[in-house]
Amino acid sequence: MKHAAIFFHYVSQYMKTRLTYRVDMLMEIMSDLLFQAVNLVFILVVFGHTQFLSGWSRDEIIFIYGFFLVPFAIFGAFFNIWDFNERYIVKGEMDRILTRPVHSLFQIILERMELESLFGMITGIAVMVYAGMRLDLSISWYDPFIFILMVIGGAFVYAGIFVMLASISFWSDSRTSIIPMMYNIGNYGRYPVDIYNKVIRFILTWILPFAFVGVYPSAYFLGREDWYVYAFLTPVVGFGFFFLSIFIWNVGVTKYRGAGN
Amino acid sequence: MDQVIQVKDLRKDFKSHSSRPGLKGAFRDLFNRNYSIISAVKDISFEVKQGEMVGYIGENGAGKSTSIKMLTGILTPTDGTVTVNGMNPHKEREKFVSSIGVVFGQRSQLWWDIAVQESFKLLKKVYNVSDEDYEAHMTHVIDSLDIGPLLDKPVRKLSLGQRMRCELAAALLHNPPLLFLDEPTIGLDVLVKLKIRNFLKEINEKYKTTILLTTHDLTDIEALCERVIMLDEGQIIYDGKLANLRSNWGEGKQIEFQFAEEVTKDELSPLMKELDAEWTASERKNVWVANVVNEEHVISEVIGRVVAAHRITDVKIHEISTEEIIRNIYEEGVVDGKIY
Ligand SMILES: Nc1ncnc2c1ncn2[C@@H]1O[C@H](COP(=O)(O)OP(=O)(O)OP(=O)(O)O)[C@@H](O)[C@H]1O
Ligand SMILES: [Mg+2]
Repeated sequence: MKHAAIFFHYVSQYMKTRLTYRVDMLMEIMSDLLFQAVNLVFILVVFGHTQFLSGWSRDEIIFIYGFFLVPFAIFGAFFNIWDFNERYIVKGEMDRILTRPVHSLFQIILERMELESLFGMITGIAVMVYAGMRLDLSISWYDPFIFILMVIGGAFVYAGIFVMLASISFWSDSRTSIIPMMYNIGNYGRYPVDIYNKVIRFILTWILPFAFVGVYPSAYFLGREDWYVYAFLTPVVGFGFFFLSIFIWNVGVTKYRGAGN
Repeated sequence: MDQVIQVKDLRKDFKSHSSRPGLKGAFRDLFNRNYSIISAVKDISFEVKQGEMVGYIGENGAGKSTSIKMLTGILTPTDGTVTVNGMNPHKEREKFVSSIGVVFGQRSQLWWDIAVQESFKLLKKVYNVSDEDYEAHMTHVIDSLDIGPLLDKPVRKLSLGQRMRCELAAALLHNPPLLFLDEPTIGLDVLVKLKIRNFLKEINEKYKTTILLTTHDLTDIEALCERVIMLDEGQIIYDGKLANLRSNWGEGKQIEFQFAEEVTKDELSPLMKELDAEWTASERKNVWVANVVNEEHVISEVIGRVVAAHRITDVKIHEISTEEIIRNIYEEGVVDGKIY
């Protein structure tokens, strides 16, 4: 309850700041939307040349990509803490966070959120609708709920991985280039994993489970029954990874060294 | 009386890595890094009672901030126990920090981009302070610190002194019974310093707020703290009344004579025969300082003899300032727990 109140207070503060600091909010939203539209056209053009990819049709691949964009947008809005090391560890901002009576990760998420990123969900859903219509997918009444569950699961997979990476900073405050690398690896989850060799497939499923952000949950909506087990593991893996990452974070906080002034 | 802070054998070691030079060195670092251990705080123990105002002083790098960070739950101690407000700060951090207020002079606690008032509102939510409590308490705080006109300005547009007063108000928003201040007066002008001191005194009297503060400005300590804890290289070298520090190590006065004509030490020294006194030359021309014990007859005797033998244009009597006492202690250090 308290957390929800704080969350909404931060969101309204965020809106207010955006409104005062950005000269023209409308222009900003327009350009965010335009960016997403260009993205959409780009996806259709790029995938226009692919026909089949080890048993997946072009439209299925587009659908997976569209699905991927939705949890990725949520991740981008709330868990995109790639600058955690510089901002909070090297500059010692973590001191301030730790003197407040709210979980430290929750505070950082609220301070670093970028709600604009949520526009990506619109693009994602548009892509899914486009591909879904071409594939003649049927939707039952419970599918939207499963969709929400899958999206949250996928977002948590991403969140978990990036929170774990951020936690490394508690042990070592030297710069690493792991984070950009991780964005690249994340992209592999957008494609059907059976196009990769076994080792990569294993990694994308169990070590860095990016496959649960794109292909596995999409398999459910595409009616690919052979993948259903993985599809329904999505929320489990998502929550599992996220809780593991919070655990690691909490241990990390006790190792925080602070910055000498 | 209640002990608000109990610290026993508290220790903090920092591992500090050093890298070897060159590419070959970097490669060796990969496998086995050189490190040394710096003990910032070495097994200190002390207690603070409710309502005390304690000055926590020491040279740069003595370990003051590190101790405060352990007391506030920011850093986990390497060893020893800390109990503050009956809790273990780093174990029950979230519950614990609601019971303290913290100001780090070197670092802002407020949100940079938003108006002070908005920061306060966010903190009010974060600390779960009710509207009534906020009104009752903060109206007064805002008034005493005179920050009413600053409330609608973003923090980044405030001057240092304005910001610091807002920081203090923010730290007190939930009316904590215990306040940690790490260099709260750094870089502030005399008037703002006075305002802050008066305010701290006031809340200490009104709410019995316990205050632990570090500062390099000893006039802060003199104005506020009866008790000082002095730290040197991570160890406590003095813990007691500021007044005792003065009477034990600050005995003596300085009598400054401005002579009408040039005098030499050889001429002056015979005057001090049988007296516990010593001459030092001042930087100014024809000015000499007699360092004497703080006893009436010695002071009168010295002045009498000097005035009888030489023509003088001015005499001043100084007490040795706390700053000098402390500087002497820092410079000369401690042997066997005694300060020389
Ligand atoms: N995060 C850190 N990593 C490594 N060493 C540190 C760290 N923080 C502090 N130290 C070291 O610990 C010692 C004590 O530092 P601390 O900041 O507590 O001093 P201080 O008494 O607050 O000094 P100042 O008056 O300059 O603020 C110093 O030698 C400092 O270099
Ligand atoms: Mg310090």
